[in-house]
Amino acid sequence: MSCHKCVGALPAAGLSRRAVLNRVGMGLGGLAVANLINPSGLAAFGEGQDRGVLGGQFHLKPRAKRVIYLFMAGGPSQMETFDYKPILNQRNGEQLPDSVRQGQRLTGMSGNQSSLPLAGSQFRFEQHGAAGTWVSNLLPQTARIVDDLCIVRSMSTDAINHDPAITFFQSGSQIAGRPSMGAWIHYGLGSDNEDLPAFVVLITPGKVDQPLYARLWGSGFLPSQHQGVQFRSGKDAVLYLSNPEGVSRESRRLLLDRLKELQLHAAEQQGDAEVDARIAQYEMSYRMQASVPGVMDVSNETDETFDLYGKDSRTPGTFAANCLLARRLAEKGVKFVQLYHQGWDQHDNLPRDIERQCRETDQASAALIVDLKRRGLLDDTLVVWGGEFGRTSYSQGRLTATNYGRDHHPRCFSIWMAGGGVKPGLVYGATDDFSYNVAEHPVHVHDFHATLLYLLGIDHERLTYLYQGRRFRLTDVHGQVVKDLIA
Amino acid sequence: MAAARLTVVLVLALAARSSFIAAGPGADEKVPPTTPRVDFTRQIRPLLSDRCFRCHGPDASKRKAKLRLDVREGAFKTMGKGWAIVKPRDPEKSELIRRITTDDIEDMMPPPESNLSLTDAEKALLKRWIAEGADYRPHWSLAPVSASPQPTLHDGSVAANPIDGFVRARLDQEGLSPAPKASPEVLIRRLAFDLTGLPPSPAEIDAFLEDRAPGAYERLVDRYLGSPAYGERMAMDWLDLARYADTYGYQNDVERDMSPYRDWVIAAFTRNLPYDQFLTWQLAGDLLPHPTREQRIATAFNRLHRQTNEGGSIEDEFRTEYVVDRVNTFGMSMLGLTLECARCHDHRFDPITQRDYYSLFAFFNNIDESGLYSHFTNATPSPSLLLWPAGKDEEHRKIEARIHELESQLRAMSRTARKAFDARPTTTPAVPAPISHLAFDRVEGGKTPDAATGGNAELKDDPQRVIIAASRPLNAPPVRGPWDVSAYAMRFSGDNAVVHPGVRTFDRTDAFSLAVRLRPTEQQDRAVVLHQSRAWSDAGSRGFELTLDHGRVFFGLIHFWPGNAIAVRSLQPLPLNAWSSLTVTYDGSSRAGGIGIYLNGVRLATEVIRDHLYKDITYDRAAGDNVNEQPRLTIGARFRDSGFKNGLLDDLQIFDTALTPAEIAQADGAKPTAAEALDHFLVRQYQPYMSALGSLRELRVEENTLITRVPELMVMEEMRERRPAHRLERGAYDAPREIVPRDTPASLPPFPSNQPRNRLGLARWLTDRRNPLASRVAVNRIWRMHFGRGIVATQEDFGSQGRLPTHPELLDFLADRFMASGWDVKALHRLIVTSETFQQSSSATAALMARDPDNQLLARGPERRLVAESIRDSALAASGLLNPTIGGPSVKPYQPAGLWEQSGTGKTYKQDTGASLYRRSLYTFWRRTSPPPSMITFDAMSREVCTAKREVTTTPLQSLVLLNDPQFVEAARRLAETVMKQSPSDQAARTRAAFRALTGRLPDAAEAGILSRLFKEQQAIFAAHPDDAVKLLAVGESAASHEVQPADLAAMTSVVSAIMNFDEFVVMK
Repeated sequence: MSCHKCVGALPAAGLSRRAVLNRVGMGLGGLAVANLINPSGLAAFGEGQDRGVLGGQFHLKPRAKRVIYLFMAGGPSQMETFDYKPILNQRNGEQLPDSVRQGQRLTGMSGNQSSLPLAGSQFRFEQHGAAGTWVSNLLPQTARIVDDLCIVRSMSTDAINHDPAITFFQSGSQIAGRPSMGAWIHYGLGSDNEDLPAFVVLITPGKVDQPLYARLWGSGFLPSQHQGVQFRSGKDAVLYLSNPEGVSRESRRLLLDRLKELQLHAAEQQGDAEVDARIAQYEMSYRMQASVPGVMDVSNETDETFDLYGKDSRTPGTFAANCLLARRLAEKGVKFVQLYHQGWDQHDNLPRDIERQCRETDQASAALIVDLKRRGLLDDTLVVWGGEFGRTSYSQGRLTATNYGRDHHPRCFSIWMAGGGVKPGLVYGATDDFSYNVAEHPVHVHDFHATLLYLLGIDHERLTYLYQGRRFRLTDVHGQVVKDLIA
Repeated sequence: MAAARLTVVLVLALAARSSFIAAGPGADEKVPPTTPRVDFTRQIRPLLSDRCFRCHGPDASKRKAKLRLDVREGAFKTMGKGWAIVKPRDPEKSELIRRITTDDIEDMMPPPESNLSLTDAEKALLKRWIAEGADYRPHWSLAPVSASPQPTLHDGSVAANPIDGFVRARLDQEGLSPAPKASPEVLIRRLAFDLTGLPPSPAEIDAFLEDRAPGAYERLVDRYLGSPAYGERMAMDWLDLARYADTYGYQNDVERDMSPYRDWVIAAFTRNLPYDQFLTWQLAGDLLPHPTREQRIATAFNRLHRQTNEGGSIEDEFRTEYVVDRVNTFGMSMLGLTLECARCHDHRFDPITQRDYYSLFAFFNNIDESGLYSHFTNATPSPSLLLWPAGKDEEHRKIEARIHELESQLRAMSRTARKAFDARPTTTPAVPAPISHLAFDRVEGGKTPDAATGGNAELKDDPQRVIIAASRPLNAPPVRGPWDVSAYAMRFSGDNAVVHPGVRTFDRTDAFSLAVRLRPTEQQDRAVVLHQSRAWSDAGSRGFELTLDHGRVFFGLIHFWPGNAIAVRSLQPLPLNAWSSLTVTYDGSSRAGGIGIYLNGVRLATEVIRDHLYKDITYDRAAGDNVNEQPRLTIGARFRDSGFKNGLLDDLQIFDTALTPAEIAQADGAKPTAAEALDHFLVRQYQPYMSALGSLRELRVEENTLITRVPELMVMEEMRERRPAHRLERGAYDAPREIVPRDTPASLPPFPSNQPRNRLGLARWLTDRRNPLASRVAVNRIWRMHFGRGIVATQEDFGSQGRLPTHPELLDFLADRFMASGWDVKALHRLIVTSETFQQSSSATAALMARDPDNQLLARGPERRLVAESIRDSALAASGLLNPTIGGPSVKPYQPAGLWEQSGTGKTYKQDTGASLYRRSLYTFWRRTSPPPSMITFDAMSREVCTAKREVTTTPLQSLVLLNDPQFVEAARRLAETVMKQSPSDQAARTRAAFRALTGRLPDAAEAGILSRLFKEQQAIFAAHPDDAVKLLAVGESAASHEVQPADLAAMTSVVSAIMNFDEFVVMK
């Protein structure tokens, strides 16, 4: 299969997969099934695993095999976390200079304020690690592992409101209907695990803040098997996973056995080529009923592990528990774990609220890195931490001695990455003295996407899908791989 | 089995591979032996489009080397020395061939960095095309529909049904023959799902099998076409295109009921509204002469796009997005074109320029809408249609007539009262006492006293009290009358405010006046002076507001800005750094003419900004407004609005009457005119007039009460003054370039000269017989509903990058016939389903499957997995649970708990109970950001944007739904109960009945045996675990029958569940 065939027009790629499936006598519908879950049952038929549209032929040397994305929904303030700006403290209360704002648009929330007073962070920054990286004291655990992180302080995005911005970050477009990052990766690379979805979504429940939408992990115009599958704490980790009340596993097994007989009989009668796939579909769902609770069941984790992630990690659904779960999913080869934690939209009462947010996330985020590293998983697992935009260096609402808020700010913000082929201990890019504009090494969301795909062995310009006559890609018509970030 | 189940990945792949089908992007080219000459349309144009047009196509800005290959002149351009880009019959002197065959990296086409390339076969094909003379034609879909005569078959006959003629002719060419007719059981099931979306009942099957009279099949067709379920099935399909949903989409994704539109779609199909009218009403029903309620409801099609209320969003940005969505949806649903590509730049593949795009945009941008819907109120975004309950509009008209009558009586009285006026005792008009008076002379503990009420107003965020005596000489007006000379005033920062809880709330029927002295010190685009409202755009400005708009005095009463409001604005700005004594009066009439603005006692010349207020300006929690109490009168600032920055304000007085001009003049030391004196006399002294005014007010209150709770529907309604449309650079709302006229793309037939340049004219253009697209797109869509695949596979794209029709002559024949029939949709269905082509068996030999897995040649009947809605509806119907009620607001069937809560909007899914649980799935509540999971699992769309077709996938999650979703479990149990009651002792008969109810046929011996064994196994399990049986039977809201043994019923439930998971339940053969 030539590279052109893999990545150019989709049909050619699909064709080659079909050819493979036909050669091994696999039914057609199995492709879709295999894209969601690659069962050991199918392994017997040949190729063994679902390798996505690229068929396992990477464009580039893959550095990461999987991604865990800690999405900090709402937009964490860079000035309270990784972007140390003492000048803001020195000039606290002064107006944001016009020369800095440069007439750039503000949201309708602070755009009508009569003044835009600079707000210095109330939190102390110290240098940490071998590289002397500045980290706020809100993130003591993150500070301890800072030499494992690659911090990008020069991120920027196009959108100024949550919905367009988070949609843009997750799908490369502000317009609804495009596939999410995880869906693209699933489509391109397939799955590495036997009986779990390749793209899993975890959300910290109960954080009523800026909403999350199904489109953020949707498949857009890609076939729907590429969409993320949400794992929830509670009875049904996956929707409709449990048998109905009163139906035992034995009863279900027998039902499926008879169902299989019915399908095989029908295939005999009618020459049905898809029967294997359909049987596999049901077998996979049956195995999922065991494998999903299996991966969700953390009872065999040690106390030491729980201590590492923090005491919240014993409470299902918390951010800490989800981080631990993310590690377990990574161990099982889940390709893309998308974790969401809401609550970063601190328009007012920022000092109080960000402290709480950081308390909820700092230890477990750091623990995830430590845990992956000691298990030898960090090398080929890319971990990303960050939100959809940053926050303004001026105060939204009244600036007082103890309180301030910050509005949305798309022009610069910080994220970090770790493992998966990025340079550890690197601090990349810089903002101006006011953390208002990128001053050095800008990294746009499209560049971030291009880089993320690059780390996974994908040339972002060559993973395309033909829809409405156009070859779409995650990076639209933009994106530059930021090679400086790559180890 | 078939191709029906393939993902779209495979559909495209296989299509491309088949030698008999047109080449497309990525196609493997094989030369069909029967075609001696290269076919430009099928073989060459798609190649040029896919590999070359991106840089050498319609988009001038991306065009390299000034070369375009999408038009003949460009492709054949000569180059000197005997060379040309394409030199017919001379590939050796054709630059195109040189470039695609060279090894020189610099010259090579397509260039390596494009990630595009041509195979050797494709290169050879291009060469041969040129050698054969380089036939060149425009893109097929833009050429007029031309009806070819029905082909004569190889045996010299002409088929009775023209569809069979065209299909057979093609099969003849391929050396294939049609499949035999499907069995009656298969046919009735196919027909029932195709025309009603529901399975045939066992009784219907029996009746059909027994009807041996000629025409039995045709009668069945007519019965299904005549059933109301037909309209529902057709609507299911259209609603994906219309992006119909029950919430706004975006962010908070608030609920809004658009079901009258959905019900109109159902009714339109049910009564077979001609399709050209179906399109016309939706595009422009409001512009038809004397539009009916139905015609106006239809235009909601253009308002179903997503809308946002996210705080801080920029109104203009989103208003642009809405218009864009209308244009894109129009393009995809009605023209089959991907217009959206031309939003930012000329289309790369199709002859649609960016200018064309905004010329279409110009038809859709002319409504009085806001870019944001309201967070704090439940107002229907304007423009809207009042949906009067039966009889209430009549009642309303009567009240309005009485109001008009009283108003003319009052006018008459003002003429006849002259005598009484002349005889009046001459007194100086006394200004009525204010109900509130803030002098701002004292501030204590953040409060300032109200001289009229004895209460206090509250200072929020410390507005400053400043001494103003020193500043008075600057330009202070004379202070007279009841207004005290005060030494202090308030200075506002723009963010701080004074809130006065002691002032009553005024509604739109109240007459009231505000008098205040202002001293603006800065020129502001917008300054909020005072208001009674919760917020600006976050509340749709609900309430009243006094603002300075570039210094000009603006006063408005607003239900939802801009379409449900009155407002006037002074022509002149207030002076800066000078005191102005400003009075605003309002007479309770809900008309802009009822507002008066006075500066220093003299009425100001004003312009009317809006004059269309028909609902109240107050807040009502019971009506869904998101506030706990009426907003208080507030001075100086408003939530997320631009306050009175550095402005001074003093002596605010509020009156619960419209002050007369005479009173205002008096107060400000001016002398009233004679006319003003008469007005004053009428209102304050002339009893007959005063009593009529009292009656008028009562009527207005009655009218307001009646209308304010009437639900509304977002519809289209042209603004009187046309809003200009600009070309937007890169599609950005804030980069307007030249103004563009309303027009249609130059590559399509011209806009008819006798039609208005509005949406109605656009609809006439669309449905004109010369328009090549509307009928082809419609016919293809209906064809697709029957065969699972369009004659053009890319329903969403009839453009250059779309797939070519498999049967172009048939497509045109049908399109032509469709138009000639008066766009008769049911006739088209009838023609299709009565064809032999449609009635073929869908079974295929392995050889045929291998050769034509997609059934493009139609050598067999259609087969496909049912759509999400039909799968659930089918379970409901077979089990007897289905509630066949048509229309009405959407319902909330079973859904796993917690999904909405987890999305973070704080909203809870409140599941329905009783019969509402069992409505057809097109009535299921569709929340765009959290769509119903069991539907989405079976490939339904989120309905955020227009989608022309769903893909079909097969995943284990689908098995989980069919096995475990309470709806399917309950349906299985109900069907089990039914068959057990029907056959109290005959297990085999029960199984047969259940199998037939779900698959439409009887099980064969082997199947019956398998199911019998299953029953026994399950029966043994449940007999051993009776508690489990009870638990299983408790699933679902409907109660289980006590007439049947629980273990037996549970076992039979498992049997039915197994059949529901059998392929023949979800597949239509």
